[in-house]
Amino acid sequence: MEPDFKDILLFKTNIQTADDKSLIAKVMEKHKIKQWTIDQQDVDCVLRIVSPVLKLEEVIHLVSKNGYQCEELI
Amino acid sequence: MNIHLYLSWKLESRMRARDLNKVELVRQKAMELLVRIGFEGFTMNKLAKECEISVATLYIYYKDKDDLILQIAKEEAQRMSNAMLEDFDPEVSFEVGLKQQWKNRAKCMLENKITAQFLEQLRTSTYQEEVYGTIVSNFKITLGKFMHNAIKKGEINEMQLEVYWSVAFAPLYNLVRFHFDGSSIGGRPFVLTDKVLWDTFELVLKALKK
Repeated sequence: MEPDFKDILLFKTNIQTADDKSLIAKVMEKHKIKQWTIDQQDVDCVLRIVSPVLKLEEVIHLVSKNGYQCEELI
Repeated sequence: MNIHLYLSWKLESRMRARDLNKVELVRQKAMELLVRIGFEGFTMNKLAKECEISVATLYIYYKDKDDLILQIAKEEAQRMSNAMLEDFDPEVSFEVGLKQQWKNRAKCMLENKITAQFLEQLRTSTYQEEVYGTIVSNFKITLGKFMHNAIKKGEINEMQLEVYWSVAFAPLYNLVRFHFDGSSIGGRPFVLTDKVLWDTFELVLKALKK
């Protein structure tokens, strides 16, 4: 099913490598975030999360805390 | 939440509602860009620039570059294969059926140049299997049935599907390719006219019919 567009959160990150991605995967798992993808082919390594409850700031805080850059993609 | 924040949030969510015109624009521009610069050079940033929208808007619709290419390819392959089956009945005589196929295919490709070139490009890419594996099965079944009917009725000899396809359709595809290029072998100028099309069809018919 297509997600509700207002539930899609988008971020510009520097989650570049496979190692970075597996680290973030653990973080996501720990916080029960299931619907997430990273476009590692893109310069902005866009992190895309579908969640009706998460807030932009929460994700930014979570990713930054783990040592990566993360800002809202506009 | 203060009222200004709330209003801007409301406005943003309204703007994010799927806009069909925008989706169509993205699809068309994506194909044009992919045909022009290839799968490797294609990026979401370049596409966003072409469409004069933000990269974020693209990521609302698609997860990543592969998702975008696959979704568009599947939709277009389905649309084209439906159009190619229009008014086509696998039970009619071989000559009538093949003629309808030529008519449909020529029309489809000539009226959808970018899509035709995009799908052709896809055939030699790593995306090919996922797109053609599932989506065009009805198409393959109908056309397979048509060929087997013609064999059963004794209109054409028994042959492998690949052999049949190469004789029945490859000449048409090649003429369309020359036409799109505007030139044929050795740079000779070329335009596909109705006469050229149907003269070639007669030759193909002669080759296949018993």
